[in-house]
Order: sequence, then structure tokens, then C-alpha cells
Amino acid sequence: MAGKWQRFGSLAVLIVVVVLLALVDRDVIDPKNVANVLAQSTVLGVCAVGMTFVILTGGIDLAVGSVMALSGVVGALANTAMGLPWPLAWALGLGAGMMAGALSAALIAWGRMLPFIATLCVMAIARGITLLMTQGSPVSGLSPGFTHAGWASWGAVPITALIFLLLATVAWVVLAKTPLGPHVRAQGDNPEAARLAGLSAPGLTFAVYMTSGFCAGLAGLLMAGRLWSAQPAIGTGMELDAISAVVLGGTSLFGGVGSIGGTVTGTLIMGFLDNGLRLQGVASYVQISIKGAVFVGAVILDLAMKGHYSRRRSRDA
Amino acid sequence: MIMRRTPSSSRLPVLLAILVGIVALLGWHEPRFIEINNLINILRQSSMVGLIALGMTLVILTGGIDLSVGSLVAVSALAGAGAARAGVTFPLCWGAALAAGALLGMVNGLGVARLRLPPFIMTLGMMGFARGLAFMVTGGKPLTGFDASFRWLGIGGWMGLPLPIWVFGGFFLVVWVLLELMPWGDQVRSVGSSPRAAWGSGVNVPGVTAQVYVLCGVASALVGLLLAGRIDSAQPTAGVGYEFGAIAGVVFGGTSFSGGRGSLVGTVIGVLIMTVLESGMNMLNVNPFAEQVVKGVVIAAALVLYGRTGQALRG
Repeated sequence: MAGKWQRFGSLAVLIVVVVLLALVDRDVIDPKNVANVLAQSTVLGVCAVGMTFVILTGGIDLAVGSVMALSGVVGALANTAMGLPWPLAWALGLGAGMMAGALSAALIAWGRMLPFIATLCVMAIARGITLLMTQGSPVSGLSPGFTHAGWASWGAVPITALIFLLLATVAWVVLAKTPLGPHVRAQGDNPEAARLAGLSAPGLTFAVYMTSGFCAGLAGLLMAGRLWSAQPAIGTGMELDAISAVVLGGTSLFGGVGSIGGTVTGTLIMGFLDNGLRLQGVASYVQISIKGAVFVGAVILDLAMKGHYSRRRSRDA
Repeated sequence: MIMRRTPSSSRLPVLLAILVGIVALLGWHEPRFIEINNLINILRQSSMVGLIALGMTLVILTGGIDLSVGSLVAVSALAGAGAARAGVTFPLCWGAALAAGALLGMVNGLGVARLRLPPFIMTLGMMGFARGLAFMVTGGKPLTGFDASFRWLGIGGWMGLPLPIWVFGGFFLVVWVLLELMPWGDQVRSVGSSPRAAWGSGVNVPGVTAQVYVLCGVASALVGLLLAGRIDSAQPTAGVGYEFGAIAGVVFGGTSFSGGRGSLVGTVIGVLIMTVLESGMNMLNVNPFAEQVVKGVVIAAALVLYGRTGQALRG
């Protein structure tokens, strides 16, 4: 049941969403608009790839939005205030993201905190540090190299889309072809059994949260490139979108089941929804409400597909 | 099992000592800090986050969490303010605000209790949904200019104390009686410590779960009314980040995230400590952006520390 949903369910949802949107407005499936959706959903997609690792272990990362802002600002300040060349500035930005991920992991693995509480704390700490570093105002005056990846294209293909594809491919290879994949899933399936089998839980926790921090940092740097400035308030609510994309992609919120392919599909669902609503002129605050409802709906769907509501297992949870 | 409440109650004197210690230190540094007016002011500031923290304590006692409280503050304030601007008399406006908070809290409760969604997922979704709703009510504009009668809760006073403190105290009393003197309190704690055992002993688990989210929604609505009254304006962006301050207070007060263990008195002291710290940082001209960092660090530190001591006590 779960396997089928994972493989075809999210693809079916994507097709239904696109067809419905196309029925309302033909412009949605215009090749130009499709390219637009692909380009605009990459930042979300990059975050969602990292989130997939975390959710597969049965964890959650609510800090991704704040980490996006933190990495963007750290990279931008390194580039402007310190005058570092862009590759170094990017490295510092990504490093900041991984540090934030490591902090979450330390609180979870060593501090024995629940993942959502630990990452909620990191969310506040990262946002606070970002605001402290910038005093709340955006950092602009970035070097052309720093912003290039965020807005430029190779031919018709935006560089962000290439980066997203590359990241997703690497993540897919790691999860499907290396021993890390089964370890990650085993952790989510049954942490106790994984521990007894000798899989190092703290090591794995650090690996997945630092991956998520790296991805969120990358998303923040790409965003800063696209906007030509690093905004300290950016990424608010990104955790909602990223978790929605992962869960819509068929990855179970309770760990163990899921795939990167599903997350790419889920990202496209979120991208088309966003785009379709915007084309229809739906006010941005209505979109916030709709996204909140989609988020809860996706999780209910996940639970229903796992037979959570069927009578036989009803007192199992 | 007999010693269930011991860890949290033995923590209370320590918390109280921390609170008194911080106040004394700040007073020593700046005598104006311990003037009676400033202390009343700190109590008034505490009442906002404190009300929410009381509701949050109930939710956390059942093993849940409510991340949507800040958004519920905004929606219920706008519901009340909308009614007030439409010329409805003020007790009914307050009723509208409380009903809005209770209704959305009920949705949270049903999602958690009936659909068995993880509480942080349900309320994170509600956080977004209700925030959007708050913007939709007015198209994003704040509502301003209310009658003094509508604003009374936020600006009035009684026996020398601002009304928000009385509202805070009153709500504390109601919740304390429910939790400590009524069988309902044991049901709440048993849902949190072992839902299956609670089910087995005949507790209406979904019902009790839904009820705590409703109470948390009502607490948020009260804050919405106090806030709208005080600043004479209901803003769709009101209450952003309130969940965090409330959780900080609850956690600092010793209520456990694993459910079942914790106390309302601890929460009140926890909230007071957070407010005193905040106002002390203001006095010492600490950058306001740093406060968020401090709150995050305090929650994390408290949880890690309590986690360790809890383990030590258990075994």
C-alpha cells in the first residue's frame, strides 16, 4: 500500500493538480510558464531534499527557513564587508548552515530533545543571530560571481535548476546506492532495532541534520543571488512548504518510507500550486491559508494511505 | 508513580530563588528596577505571554504542543474588533473574539484527537491557516479606533492594578482549580503520561485532548482582546512569535514535554523569569534582536538540564 502510494500516488496528485489548473487557465501549461515554475521551485526543492533525509530518520527540521536567511547573510557579509571572493563566501555560508544543523543534531542526540523542539530553538537562535548581524536591514552590493548562480541561465536552463537536479541526483545515489540509505531508513523505521544492530544513532543524526543545514544554506545563497541581496527576514514559513513537498512526495512523516524522486514530484506539486494561485491573482495572504491547509491535508493523506484510520489497526498507534 | 509530581514540585523553590535572585541583581544594578511601579509593569507585561503559557501548559501536559497561539491571537482580536467596529455592544464583541479562539482551538483539538495528527503538525498548519485568515478579515489592514468600553480589558484597572493582571490571575485560578481540584486534572495528566492506560481506565481521551486545545485557544483570544484594547488597534500581524515565549515559560517552569508532569505555578514563575530577563536586557540596552537568541538558548538549556536531572531522579 505504502509502496504504491510512494511510487505513483504523488505523480497522480501532480498530474491532477496540473490538469485542474490548466482547465482553469491554459497559461499554466504554456512551456514558458512551466520553465518559470521549474526555476521558481528550485529553492524550495533544495530545502526539501535536505528535509527528506531528516524525515526519513523520523525527525523534522523546522529551522530551514531561518538557516536560509543565516547562510545568505553570512555569505553576503563575507563577500561585501570582508571582501572575500565568492567561492570562499559561499563556503562560509554553507558552513554556517551546517553548523546550525550540527547544533540541532547535538540537542537531539546528546541533549535528548524532541526534534521539533530542538529545531524550533535553532530556528529562533539562527533568526536572532541573522538579525543581530544585519541589524534587520538587507545586505546588498554582492559581487557578480556571488549572485550568478541565483539568476543566470545556461541556454534556456536556469543554473538553479541544474544545481537542484545535481543535488537531487547525488541525494538519490546516496539513499539508493550507498549503505547510508538503508541506515537512514532503518533509523526511521525502528530506532531501537537500528541501535541494537550497531548503527550509530548520534552519527546518523549529525549526518542528516547537517545535510539539511547544508541544503537550507544552499537555498539561502541561491535566494540571495536571485534577489541580488541577502534578506534577514527571508525564508519565513519555508519549513511548512518544505515539509509539505516531502510528505506530498510520499515520504512518511513517521520515518522509514520515502524517496528523493518523490520529493522532486512533491516540490513540483507545490510549485504548480503556488504558480497557479498567483496566476489567478489569489492574494498572498490567502495563499498562506491554503498552504497551511495543504500541509495538514498532505499529512492526513499520508496517514490514510498507511491505513492509520482503518478499523483493524485503529488502536495500534 | 507515587512520586510522580515530586520532581517538578521540588523544582519550584529553586525557580523562585532564581526569580528573586535576578530581580535583586537587577535592582542592585539599577534601583529604579525594583520600584513598585516597575514591578507592576513587569507583571502586566507577563500577563500576555503568561495567559498563553497557562493554556500551553495544559496542552503540553497531555503530551501535545500548540504552535498556532500567535495566529489565534490575531484572528480573535480581529473577530472582536470587527464586531466592535460594526457597532455590536462590547460584551458580545468579547464573546465573538473568545468564540473565534475556542473554535479554531477546537479544530486543533479535533485534528489531534480524532485524526490523530502529530500535535506540532496540526498546529503548525493552523499557524499558517489562521494567519492567512487574519489577513483575509480586513484585507491586511489593521482595525483601529474602538470605544473605551471595548478597550477596557486592556487599559482598565482595579484596586490599583491594571486589568490584564486580574485577567491573568483569574484565568490562572480557573485553570488551577480545574487541574488540581477536579478529576479533570488527573485525566489531563493521565492522557499525557500514558494515553493507553487512560483509555483503559475509562478516560475520554479524545474529549480531554480536544478540551485542552479549546482552552489554549480561549487563552489566546483573551490575549488578543487585551492587546487590541491596549494599543487601540487589532493587527493581522499581532502575536507573531508568542508561541515561543509561552513555550519558553512553560519549559522553564519544569513542565515535561513527555507529558503528564508539570505545574501551573512553575509556568507562572517561568514566565515571570523570562519577562524579568527581557526587561532587564532592555534596561541594560541589550540589542532587542539578541532576546530571541537568548530565548532559544534558555529553552534548549532548560530542556537539556531538566532532561539530565529527570534521568538522574528516575534512575
